[in-house]
Parts: sequence; C-alpha cells; structure tokens
Amino acid sequence: MWRSFGKKLLGLLVFVLFLSFISFCLLKLVPGDPVRSMLRVDDVAVSREDIADLRNELGLDRPLLVQYGAWLGKLLRLDFGVSYMTYRPVLGEFAEKLPFTLLLTGGSLLVMLVISVPLGALSAVYRNRWVDRFSRVFSLIGSSLPSFWLGLLLIQLLSVKLHLLPPMGGGSLAHLVLPSLTLGVAMSAIYVRLIRSSLLESGGQDFVASAKARGLHPARVFWFHTFRHSLVPLVTLLSESLGSLLGGTLVVEILFAYPGLGKWIVDAIVARDYPVIQGYILFISLCIVVLNLLVELSYRWIHPQLGWKGR
Amino acid sequence: MRTAALPNLKKRMYPRMHQWIWMTTLPLLLLAAIVLAPLLTPQDPYLITVGDRLLAPSEAHLLGTDHLGRDLLSRIIAGIRTTVGTSLLILACSLLIGVTTGLLSGFIGGLWDRLFQRIIDAFMTLPDYIFAVILSGLLGPGLSNLLFAVIAVKWVGYARLARSVALQEKEQDYTALAVLAGVPKFRIVLRHILPHCLGNVLVLAALDLGKIILMIASLSYIGLGPQPPAAEWGSMLNEGQVYFTAAPHLMLAPGAALMLTVLAANLFGDKLRDRFDVKTREEA
Amino acid sequence: MLDIKSLTIASRNRQIVRGIDLSVRPGEWLALAGESGSGKSLTAAAIGGLLPGSLIAGGTLIWRGCEVSKLPPAKRRRLLGREIGYIFQNVQGAFTPFLKIGKQMDEVLYTHTELNRSERIAACLEALADLNLPAQKVYSGYPHQLSGGQLQRAAIAMALILKPGLLIADEPTTALDSLSAHKVLRYINAAQEKHGMSVLWITHDLRHVRKYADRVAIMHLGEIVEQGNAADVLTHPGHAYTRRLLAAVPALSPGAVERPGDNPPEAAAARMEVWK
Repeated sequence: MWRSFGKKLLGLLVFVLFLSFISFCLLKLVPGDPVRSMLRVDDVAVSREDIADLRNELGLDRPLLVQYGAWLGKLLRLDFGVSYMTYRPVLGEFAEKLPFTLLLTGGSLLVMLVISVPLGALSAVYRNRWVDRFSRVFSLIGSSLPSFWLGLLLIQLLSVKLHLLPPMGGGSLAHLVLPSLTLGVAMSAIYVRLIRSSLLESGGQDFVASAKARGLHPARVFWFHTFRHSLVPLVTLLSESLGSLLGGTLVVEILFAYPGLGKWIVDAIVARDYPVIQGYILFISLCIVVLNLLVELSYRWIHPQLGWKGR
Repeated sequence: MRTAALPNLKKRMYPRMHQWIWMTTLPLLLLAAIVLAPLLTPQDPYLITVGDRLLAPSEAHLLGTDHLGRDLLSRIIAGIRTTVGTSLLILACSLLIGVTTGLLSGFIGGLWDRLFQRIIDAFMTLPDYIFAVILSGLLGPGLSNLLFAVIAVKWVGYARLARSVALQEKEQDYTALAVLAGVPKFRIVLRHILPHCLGNVLVLAALDLGKIILMIASLSYIGLGPQPPAAEWGSMLNEGQVYFTAAPHLMLAPGAALMLTVLAANLFGDKLRDRFDVKTREEA
Repeated sequence: MLDIKSLTIASRNRQIVRGIDLSVRPGEWLALAGESGSGKSLTAAAIGGLLPGSLIAGGTLIWRGCEVSKLPPAKRRRLLGREIGYIFQNVQGAFTPFLKIGKQMDEVLYTHTELNRSERIAACLEALADLNLPAQKVYSGYPHQLSGGQLQRAAIAMALILKPGLLIADEPTTALDSLSAHKVLRYINAAQEKHGMSVLWITHDLRHVRKYADRVAIMHLGEIVEQGNAADVLTHPGHAYTRRLLAAVPALSPGAVERPGDNPPEAAAARMEVWK
C-alpha cells in the first residue's frame, strides 16, 4: 500500500510542477509589467534606464525558460524568491498569513458541520415533514445567496446594530466568528441536502435493519452504522469543495479585512508581484493535491473493504 | 446491431417540441430583460443629481437613490444587462469553446488528447474562483477582462464532460461503422456524438448560470469588474456598503436582486436536471 | 412461548397480513412457509417491532406471558438480541461492512449485558468457536474477508450469543448454495439441541422443511391456510395451495439431487426489501 501511495505522491508532485510551469507561462503572457508598478510606487519620474536596470536586476529580461529554470532552482533550496512589494521572502510572508486562513477554513468547516449535520439528519429522519421542508428552502436560498452579501448583512446586524462582534480585522477568536459564519452558512446549503439523501440511502441498507434487530440503541445504530456509512459521499464532497472554500475565503477575507492569504494575494495581483503570485499558486495547488490524497487515505478507514485504489 | 437504433437515439437526445418551449422560458425571459433593459428603466440610471443623494424609497424613486443621487431601481434594471447579460455571454462562450475542444480532443485521441487531459487537470486543480481572481486581476479591471477571465475558468468543465462523452461514443459500433462508411470526421462528431452530450451539457450549463452570476458579482465586489459608473450589482453593493446605516436600501436592493436571479436560475437548473434524469430513466 | 393473535399488517392502502394466529412452542422448530409476498417476512419483522414506518401492525403479540406490543421501546429493544435473535437472508447485510465482526458482536454484549471487556471477548470467541469458525480470525476480521457460508454462521453466532429463547431465521439459506445451506441449517439444529431454544424459520422452499422443522404453517396472501405437524402437512396437504406449493418444489425426497442456483441473488435482494 505504501508503495502505491508513494507512486501516487510522486505523480502528483510532477503534476504540480507542470501546473507551476503553465502558471509561469501564463503570468508572462498577460499584459502588464511589474517593473512599472514597482517604480510607480515611488511616484517620481521614471527614466527608461531605470526600467531597464530594474528589469535586469529582477532577471525579467531573460528568456522565459531560463527564468523558469532559475525559479525552479531556487525552489529546490526552498527559496520562493522575494516579494517585489515588501522585499521580504515570499515563504516568510506566506507562513505569516497561512495560520489566519487555516483558522478561517477550519472555522467555516465547523460552522458548516454544526448546521448541516443536524439539519440533514433531522430532515432524513423526518422526511417530508416541516424540518425537511425547512431544510429544502434553506439549502435553496443558501446556494443562491451571494456570500459577500450575507457577510455585509451579518456585519450590519451583529456588529453595527448589536455590537456583539468586531466587524473587521483579525487576530482574536471574536474576529473569526463572522467570516466563519458567512462561509459556513453558504457552504452548508449543499451539505444539508447531501447528508439528507445519503443518510436516507444508508438507512435503507440491510445492515442497518440487522443492527436494529440486534436491539441496539437507535442512537448507536444511527451514528455507528448509518452515519458512518454516509461519510463516504460527505468526505468526497468535502474534498471537492475544498477548492471553492479556499476561493470563498478570498472574498470573505477582503470583506472583513481579515489578514489572511486572500487579502495578501489580491494585493499582490494588483501590484503584479510575480514571485508572490507564483508562490501562492504553487502553495494552493500543493495544498489541494495533498488534501485530496489525505481524503483518499481516509476512505481506507471509512471503507476497509475498498482497500487502496491505486490509479 | 447498434446502427438499427440510430433513429431512436436521435429522437431521445433531442428534446421534443413542448419540452423545448418550457426549457427555453427562463433563458428567453432573461434575454428579453437584457434587450429591453434600457426601455424598462423609469429614469436614466447614470443621471447624477447630487441634490437627491441617499433618498429613501418614495414614489418618485421606488427604491430610493444612491450616493450620487442616481435612481436605484433604474440602476438595478440596467444591472440586469451587465450582470446577467455578461453571465449568459460567458456561459455561451464557455459552452462553445469547451464542447468543441472537448469533443474534438476525445474523438481524435492520441497524444493531443493526453496533453489536453493534462491541461484540463491543471485547470481543475486550481479553484476556479481563485484562478478567476488571479487572471482578471492581472488583466486589469474592466468588463471585457472579467469576461475573458471567467470564460478561461469555466470552459474546462464543459470540455471535460464533452471529452468523456466523445471517448465513450467513439467505442460504440455505430461510430466505427460511420468511419468505415467514409463519413467525414467532422460530420460524425456533429451528427452522432454531439447529440449525446447535449443533454448533460445543457443541465450542467443551467446549474452553472447561478454560479457564474455569483462569481461575476463577487469579482466586481472586490473591484475587479466593470468600473464606475457602470451599473453592476456586485459593484453597487461595494459602493453602497459604506452608507448602510443612512441608506440600507443601497445594500438590500442589489443583494436581493442578485439572490432572486440566482434562485430563479438554480430552480430552472434543478427542474431541467430532474426532467433529463426522468427521461433517461424512463427510456433506459 | 410466543403467541401471535390476529396479527394484521397494513400499508396505507392495502392490508398485507390479515389476522393470523400462530404459536411458537418452547423448543420447537416452526417453519412458516409461503411464496414471496405472502407476508411471512413481515410477520417476522412485526414480532420484533421492526416494521418500516409506512406499515402499521395490529393484533397482539405475547412473549412469555407479557404483551410485547404494549412494551415501551427501550424494553422492547432489550427483548431483541437478548431473548429473540434474528438472522437474515442477505448474508452480506448481516454485518455492517466497515466494522470488524468482533466489534459488532461486542456491541451486542455491550448493549445487553454488564460483562467487562475481557469477558465479552471470551464470550464472542466461544460463540464463534461453537459454530466451527476460526474464532480469532473471524473476530478480528472484516465481513468482506469471509465467505458467504462463514458469514451466515458468524451471523448465527451473533444472534445466539445471548442464548435467546427464540431464533427468527428469515430465509437464512436462500442466498447460499445448497451445500452451505445444509451446513447452516445443521448448525441451527445443533444450537437448538444445545440451548433448547425455539426456531421460527421463514422459508419459501419446502425442500428442507420435512428434515428440520417440527411443525409447519403455510401462509398465502396474508393468511395462514394450513398448519400442523411438518410430516403430516407435507405428505397429506389439506389445502389446495399447499398442494400447489409442493408441486412447485423440484424434488422432495431427502436424498434427491438439488440444483444449485435455484434461488438467484436478485430474488434474495427483492425479498430483503421488506426489512427496510
């Protein structure tokens, strides 16, 4: 098993490199010039020589492949380059921002689970009753709700009107509540229906009937047999929506002026901070690839009979 | 053996007439709103009247006015054209590009197809929203750059779907027969393979419309969309959020318009999916 | 020991079981036979209170002098597993696929007894060994690692682990090939002799009935048309339906060659629908 795991990991690493190459080329293809935006910051007259000098200094005048090779070479030494904006190492800045975004991601996952597991379970148990109808409406509205609008409304209600929570910024647990709530509510819209339908499917399995016939407590049957069986589609959807969750953190971080990766990267894009953008794309794709791998590993625990599926 | 079933297959894959009618209701309504938007606005959505700043809803301004004294209702109606119109355009372009490349790649196969598969994988790995932000940010703000960025993100899903259908259908006997009979490849793709993926692709597209609208609105919200004074729901929300306490309608109205439109699109997509699923189940 | 009096089971628009009376006496093996859809499986489910929510049961069930249908749910659950054991036709469905068999047997003991952990393990291993299974291996294995026959024996071991007074076997052999089927029935027989329990055996196949059952009740369209001593009913069927059922059986003599695959798995799956 570990051999096929290693093989898979290797394949994914090659894939991430390929992705980084594509993004590298893409970055160079789009119009815009980091040198100009860097020099514009100083707000003094810029001569042609200045531009040429800076371009030479940053190595931007060399052929594309040479630039990529240089970037890769540094990468091997875990050197992601230096941000054009702050002149600080990209890796250090990333390490500084990552915990914020991870906290936000974790928080919104928590909110999502707290909302959707009970609601999905209730609407599976009381199918076609009012709970079920409520959850249907909830998920329909939730999936149509622009998350940033929800965030704006929450700010107005909970922090401006009721003064319960800080509206902006980050750093404390209280700062985490509103952004997590915003993202979690929007996410739970899909999960409620998924949990409901997969619980209904699991509840109809023969082994659930057998477990009941053994006189086990209904709660035990539900959590250890029915719900556990429903984890497979749940985990699959989780792995699929991790990407959109990370994307979602981007808007929400800007909305709440939350000092995470999202704000960092948008600032970098506007300033054409290539090393930051390139590093960010690499980080994100690595994160997603690794998380997907973990999800696949978790299938082994959920469904021992499946074994390791080497592709 | 399979060729005998061809006439039936065709009938099954193209929806019947009355289904066409209701399936096209929502798109037609949206199109009508987009075309007629300038006629429907009660006032000029771009007319600045500084004296009428931040007016609450009244008879003269049904939804009130914004921070520059522009009529909010007119701006929301004008926003249908920017927000929904752009989304539909994006959807159409993504469909065209995705389905064409996907079908061709799947049908031609070989080295090109393997490379294509890798490219699709690469696109799929990066979250679409993040990708769109990076692209449109690098291209610079503006409606056409936004359009381009979202298309660049969205075509992949259709390409993947079309490619998988093409790969499936290529294995079928009737395709082989058509090739043997000397039918041009382009014609085979168009007449035999395209109809097979049309149903799935249309359902995917209908379910995607809401997502695209939300994506455009949130990109404009963070300032990557059309620039002022253009009326776009997301950027209207961005402008209006500062004045929430004084003029809550500035934030409520565009948000509600956005939500209702996406809701309508999602309901339509759900219905379409159910209909297609039922059809395949009945005739399978 | 179990008396069923005018049991009815109805769905919203149809009465499926129309008032049957049936008694299971201590230590006897009673076969309840009938074709698919006759309501025999629902009867078995109704005894444990395991009918799906869409079906309503009426009538009275008396277990050792106590009216089961009036018990509160918790007491009724205690009855299941402790005093009434179930085994099902779908051997794959007997165990939850992602839990080790030992864990699931342990769960039953944990729920119904006050034994400590090592006592529970010992009891599980003993119950498995009783059915000639490699106890340690089965205990720490997943259901998918066993063969169909082994699984059904493990299911019997689990049903019998608390030495219930009644074992309800809902077509336990239908999904098995005939060699395994014989084995399973012999194990049930041996367990019955050892513990002296009663067996209520639901079957649609009269072939094994004469060999294993003491009494037989024939069910047709939700009613019991005939019941009595197994040998008598099978040799001198009194009801026209019993005769038809007997005629449908390929070979009745005990030594006759049986055809494997008489009961295709799809039929088995369809039968299990009742339990959902």
